[in-house]
Amino acid sequence: MKDLLATVKQNVEIAENIYKMTLTLPESAGELLGGQFVNLSTGESAQLLRRPLGICLADGKDISVCYQLKGKGTKSLAEAKAGDRLKILLPLGNGFNLKNAKNIAVIGGGVGIFPLIYTMRKNSDKNFYMYFGFRNKHAVCLLNEIPKCKELTVVTDDGSYGGKGNALDAFLQSAPQVDLIIACGPPVMLKALKSALAEKKIDTPCLVSLEERMGCGIGACLVCTCKKTDGGNARVCKDGPVFDINEVNL
Amino acid sequence: MANLSVEICGVKFKNPVIAASGTYGFGREFNEVYDISQIGGISTKGMTLEPRVGNPVPRIAEGDSVILNAVGLQNPGVESFIEKDLGYLKSKGVVIIANVAGKTLEDYGKICARLNGLVDFVELNISCPNVKAGGMAFGIKPESIKEVTRVSKNSLTKTPLMVKLSPNVESISVNAKAAEECGADCVSLINTLTGMVIDLERRKPVIANNTGGVSGAGIRPIALRMVYEAAHAVKIPVIGMGGIASGEDAISFMMAGAKAVQVGTANFTNANAMPEIISQMNAWLDGHNIASVNEIVDTLTLNG
Ligand SMILES: Cc1cc2nc3c(=O)[nH]c(=O)nc-3n(C[C@H](O)[C@H](O)[C@H](O)COP(=O)(O)OP(=O)(O)OC[C@H]3O[C@@H](n4cnc5c(N)ncnc54)[C@H](O)[C@@H]3O)c2cc1C
Ligand SMILES: Cc1cc2nc3c(=O)[nH]c(=O)nc-3n(C[C@H](O)[C@H](O)[C@H](O)COP(=O)(O)O)c2cc1C
Ligand code: FES
Repeated sequence: MKDLLATVKQNVEIAENIYKMTLTLPESAGELLGGQFVNLSTGESAQLLRRPLGICLADGKDISVCYQLKGKGTKSLAEAKAGDRLKILLPLGNGFNLKNAKNIAVIGGGVGIFPLIYTMRKNSDKNFYMYFGFRNKHAVCLLNEIPKCKELTVVTDDGSYGGKGNALDAFLQSAPQVDLIIACGPPVMLKALKSALAEKKIDTPCLVSLEERMGCGIGACLVCTCKKTDGGNARVCKDGPVFDINEVNL
Repeated sequence: MANLSVEICGVKFKNPVIAASGTYGFGREFNEVYDISQIGGISTKGMTLEPRVGNPVPRIAEGDSVILNAVGLQNPGVESFIEKDLGYLKSKGVVIIANVAGKTLEDYGKICARLNGLVDFVELNISCPNVKAGGMAFGIKPESIKEVTRVSKNSLTKTPLMVKLSPNVESISVNAKAAEECGADCVSLINTLTGMVIDLERRKPVIANNTGGVSGAGIRPIALRMVYEAAHAVKIPVIGMGGIASGEDAISFMMAGAKAVQVGTANFTNANAMPEIISQMNAWLDGHNIASVNEIVDTLTLNG
């Protein structure tokens, strides 16, 4: 884990309100796993907290994150120009452990697709059945970065690109024969996924990546707690962000 | 290389830069970023007799140059600390300050007795609600500060007592004196100020607990003023904190009268904050031909 001063190589809007920022690290940060994230300074000194962003692409010392404009921090990030320097703490979190699964369903909603794309690229020996959902055609992005999949379904809430619907429904309709499900997306999607698996008695192992507001990002401050089904607490930044869906309350 | 070592209540620190409670856990995670044996000391996450699960999330929010937190003292309990973390911290050769909290006077007495002789200091977090006194924090009124200090001191026959003062009070000088009078060996300040941040769309406070403790660079001038006042009200050593993010910030607190400093929120903004602060202090002292950091303590002169 290193806190480095990276140089912005490129920062472009790739879809409506979604930016892709590529940063060049001064040195290697070691192996970066799919589902791991970085804690990026916004470049605005009054913003004391780093922003957690999933690793989306990595190539040597270049690493890309994609972010949706939300509040002040992502707005500051969008103003960064090539050559600007930002502090980046990485790699953080556990990432998706695909173990020996061969056929994997990938369910992504909204900004949840970014860490999933990297996870698929890192594990090109696996067969992926991918279901991505976007709000509308203006939000669709990065499809060209998705590696070869056994199945690739893109849907939008309003049907303006691909089919109409959400990623979870697309997965449930297709019902691929897989030995692992991985998912990342808004809390409502993960919640619905958990109930759907229970309802349909699907017992395929399922890993989900969670979001929580963070302080340190490394497991020291206990602000990013999520509740485990056994009643205990887990740190999203350190014990997660990826958890077995049955291990956490959603 | 200036001499950065300091001695407080007979305890030697290799430098005066201490991790502030609650921002640094028990040190293990920051040790994955740098070797934590470089820093002067660690004030642990606030501990209670029994484990606590803490508040619901969100527990953190951001304002301009500040953050707010309401973790609610999630901690594994003092026994877990003694069993799992104390040995680790000892192996790192840093000064160990056990930050403790309680709901009643008896809690403070018991937890201090348990830690007596095991750590280098016990730091009392008295910003917690006193359950028996209708929930008002122990640290607000001088009378309750006296009580909690006395009870804790009685249990601490071998370990120096550091009382951490809350800034949400009428007079920091009066409160510092109250702690001194009842046996505090030193005081640390400031704990967080109470604040609120609102999510306009939801028309609700961002933090689940509604209010949270404000910390970070934006509170630094307030903290500095309070450290100055406390240091000039008592004879016991004062440890200063509140928004320290650079070597120069640390030097300013020491000029105002602090013998050492703690660094909290800056650890979130910059994971290497503490080693950087130590080397910046060194550079500042070298640049001013000052041989030892102790020479700057309490050297502030007020405008006439
Ligand atoms: C592990 C992880 C990976 C993430 N990966 C991505 C990604 O790849 N792309 C992407 O667009 N977004 C991602 N997010 C969400 C992203 O962190 C937030 O959208 C972003 O922090 C919002 O910052 P802001 O300053 O614009 O919003 P504000 O609301 O102004 O932020 C205020 C504070 O709240 C925090 N915050 C607000 N929303 C969230 C949230 N949903 N999750 C965590 N913290 C939040 C901010 O970090 C900041 O500290 C990820 C979150 C986590 C926890
Ligand atoms: C996330 C967080 C948790 C904290 N937990 C504790 C605690 O358990 N006990 C305590 O005495 N102070 C706690 N504090 C207060 C800090 O130790 C410190 O007094 C305060 O943050 C001011 O310093 P800073 O501006 O450098 O952060 C906490 C602060 C933060 C930000
Ligand atoms: S953000 Fe500090 S423990 Fe997770």
